[in-house]
Amino acid sequence: MIRIALRMLVGDRLKYLGLVAGLAFATLLITQQGSIFAGFTRRSGSWIRDTAQADLWIMDPQVEFTEDRKAMLDSALLKVRGVEGIEWAVPLYKSYVQARLQDGTRVVVRMIGLDDATLTGGPPIMEEGSLELLKQDRAILVDARDVDDGLRLRRGMDDEGPRELRVGDRIDLNEHETVVVGTFRRTREFFWDPVVYTTYTRALRMAPPERKSLGYVLARVKSGHDPREVARRVEETTRLRADTSEDYENRSMDFILAKTGILPNFGITIALGFVIGVLISGQLLYNFILENQRAFAAMKAMGASNMLLLRMVFAQVLFAAFIGFGIGVGVTAVVGLLLHDSKLAFHMAWQVPVFGGIAILVCCLIAAAISIRRVMRLEPAVVFKG
Amino acid sequence: MTTTAQRIAVSCRGVTKTFGEGENAVHALRGVDLEVLLGQMTMLVGPSGCGKTTLISVIAGILNRSAGECTVLGEDTSSLPDRQRAAWRGRNVGFVFQALNLVPTLTAAENVAIPLLILGVDYKSALQRAAVMLERVGLGGRIKSLPAQLSGGQQQRIAIARALVHEPRLLVCDEPTSALDHETGHKVMQLLREVASREDRALIVVTHDSRIFSFADRIAHMDDGHVERIETPSRA
Amino acid sequence: MKLRTYALPAVALLGMVAAVHTVRTSDRHLAAAPPIAPPSPSPFERQIAGAGIVEARSENVAVAAPSSGVIVGVSVTEGQKVQRGDLLLRLDSRSLEAELLQRRAELESARSELARLRAQPRAEDLPPAQARVDASRVAVEDAQARLALAEAVTDRRAISTEELSRRTFAVKSAQAELATAEAELAKLRAGAWASDLAVAEARIAVSKAACERIEIEIDRLSVKAPIDGTCLQVSARVGEFAMSGSTTPLVLLGDLSRLHVRIDIDESDAWRFRPGSAARGFLRGNSELATELEFVRVDPYVMPKRSLTGDTLERIDTRVLQVIYSFSADAIPVYVGQQMDVFVDSPSGRGKQ
Repeated sequence: MIRIALRMLVGDRLKYLGLVAGLAFATLLITQQGSIFAGFTRRSGSWIRDTAQADLWIMDPQVEFTEDRKAMLDSALLKVRGVEGIEWAVPLYKSYVQARLQDGTRVVVRMIGLDDATLTGGPPIMEEGSLELLKQDRAILVDARDVDDGLRLRRGMDDEGPRELRVGDRIDLNEHETVVVGTFRRTREFFWDPVVYTTYTRALRMAPPERKSLGYVLARVKSGHDPREVARRVEETTRLRADTSEDYENRSMDFILAKTGILPNFGITIALGFVIGVLISGQLLYNFILENQRAFAAMKAMGASNMLLLRMVFAQVLFAAFIGFGIGVGVTAVVGLLLHDSKLAFHMAWQVPVFGGIAILVCCLIAAAISIRRVMRLEPAVVFKG
Repeated sequence: MTTTAQRIAVSCRGVTKTFGEGENAVHALRGVDLEVLLGQMTMLVGPSGCGKTTLISVIAGILNRSAGECTVLGEDTSSLPDRQRAAWRGRNVGFVFQALNLVPTLTAAENVAIPLLILGVDYKSALQRAAVMLERVGLGGRIKSLPAQLSGGQQQRIAIARALVHEPRLLVCDEPTSALDHETGHKVMQLLREVASREDRALIVVTHDSRIFSFADRIAHMDDGHVERIETPSRA
Repeated sequence: MKLRTYALPAVALLGMVAAVHTVRTSDRHLAAAPPIAPPSPSPFERQIAGAGIVEARSENVAVAAPSSGVIVGVSVTEGQKVQRGDLLLRLDSRSLEAELLQRRAELESARSELARLRAQPRAEDLPPAQARVDASRVAVEDAQARLALAEAVTDRRAISTEELSRRTFAVKSAQAELATAEAELAKLRAGAWASDLAVAEARIAVSKAACERIEIEIDRLSVKAPIDGTCLQVSARVGEFAMSGSTTPLVLLGDLSRLHVRIDIDESDAWRFRPGSAARGFLRGNSELATELEFVRVDPYVMPKRSLTGDTLERIDTRVLQVIYSFSADAIPVYVGQQMDVFVDSPSGRGKQ
């Protein structure tokens, strides 16, 4: 009978296509917006994920998110190193500085200073040059992709037009001359300012003098120790904040979400998609069942139980949901693939299709629940009426 | 030749059926006495609103009677719970509806297979049996046609095939010829007699088409919720 | 019919496959760049981390200029082993040498003066004095003879009393004259006065001392190695002006037979340190180059942390306990002045002992 139910649904081309299209559209709306939302939230943690050498991030307790600079005393590094369960710990500097390019272009950049000896915490992928080159005097690494929006010679030198930065170019950071020795690629972030990498001591030399300079301590936990437990111990002994990468990512993300109002904005669109889905599918499904109610009644007369009819209706609804969701999510996915690595923050987290699917399912079940009452209440006797 | 008692398929005594309550109450059946015998075609005739449809609904176990006694194929269906009564209908009763109620999006074979599928027969063998049945009603070549692609008579045959595919012992036909021209109606009635009539099956045909009265073994004339008289037409 | 029936489900399935693909690809994040060298891992279960700086066993001896002056000679090079007393460099000593010449002349003059005094009396002065004595004696005899003559005349008329007394006085006068001449001859014969000699000798001593002082000062301008060791740094260049009291040493010497590492332990961790604890030092930049450290001593004064970043603007924020450990110079390729990450075992972990 399930097969008959599906054949009934598919046979009614107009309603079938309408139902599928409606559900696909709702799915598209929900998953597309969901993906962009996920993209934004994920981008808020890009840097933390890119800097994956560390298990723990130790910072001032008041640091709220990745761009927050509340520095610590240098001695924090040694204190962290002394905590039980810490394999190693290295300093990391991060701060905004003024950059002036050769052609006079002025940009605010984020300067990240890596531990001089090990260069731990470097960019994920080097495009040109290598991380080791940072050990050269005045060396910095610039983002290879920021060239089209941030670190770009906008006026251009002499007679050449605007162009991208390349190895060998000089940049003044806080009036200190530096030389580009390499370019790197990183995951796009929520914040747009270009990033430059240099060494820790060079960063300190270029940064305005501060009493406290240590932005982060990156630490690796010894194998066999629970990172959260070690983090707790670090917090206890140093009175600083110690987060696992995951915790810091979430905390940073929560803060950005709370501050920017991204959540309600996307939430409204997603809810809209849901409502549209319920309305369209509910309407069409109800129509479909209304149209087929005599057939259902006949089946009832021919001995079909309510349970069987219920199963049939659900089969139809779930099938429509499956098709609609599949098409909708497919369009989203293809759009996502096309938009991959663009400015649009598109990230199809596994939660997006899963929750999108659940939403479509719920919306179909609501629609089915409205229609099913008619079928359940159907008197088989109506079949004898002309 | 078996005894009359053994051949009784339906036995109604003083069956009443009232829809609604109080002032709005409609008394559809006011005490029907009727016996339907196996191996016979019993026609219920009478004017519109005389209670024919209500009576076959009660007999087929679709409606519960309000009072009286009614035994169908040895079972008092109104004593069964809904679910079991539905299952009983599925096993024992075949329906040919006035409006046919064919599912327009299903093929002829699929439409015919529905009663089997309801009984839980698997799709493949149900479709095979439906094809055989369609063959018997002369539609062997239209198995995959949609109802809309067929003529009224052909559709009616599909409906008959559907009513018979699960070998029911009671066949209930509601106005089988009302939508057909005389010739087609005649052919349908012939088909009913040829394909449906069996010693262990009772046929009840509701009609007000006097042209087909000649096909009946017994004719029960109804009016105003009563069976007025029963006649046994002489067969040609 | 078949195609139309299965087209949409197929599309839907394709869509889901695309979704799975997109989920999987967009979930892939860029792999973290490995550090170019793994950071130093801590070797103990509970430890105190400290920043250490390598120094020579003797600590680093900064040889400075004893006085300001132009460097005229540098006789060592970096890395050269020197013995105690070996010449390291020389400062310009010409002005002192000039002064020495003058002082020496002065000494010479004092010596001549003494010789002159010692050479008295002059031989040429004696004969006239003797002659004067002889003449005086003759005059006495003459006067006496005249008196005797007069006294021999008894006639008081021939010779007046006055004449006689006059002749008497003449004798006395001649005798006095003789005494004077004899005294002068005696004085002449006695030579220079002893006190004059003493003064002259003292003057010689002063001049000699002045010469010696200058010689010593000249010697000081030749800077010599105060210990046996190796020249770690030679910042002296011939022709440069060396300031005395300058903070940059001209030559940095150190005894490299065994190296010390001076470890800064944060004051907040100082209570956890137990003298004699095991420690392990890691070379910065290659954590595989590590060595066991041997406890030497604790500097019991907790001092303000000297920043190792070298930024003059950096302020002192903590005080540190300095602990000195030693290790064999052959253990790891390390140079004096290099920084090490040091972990000191802290078995007690927490609490009182």
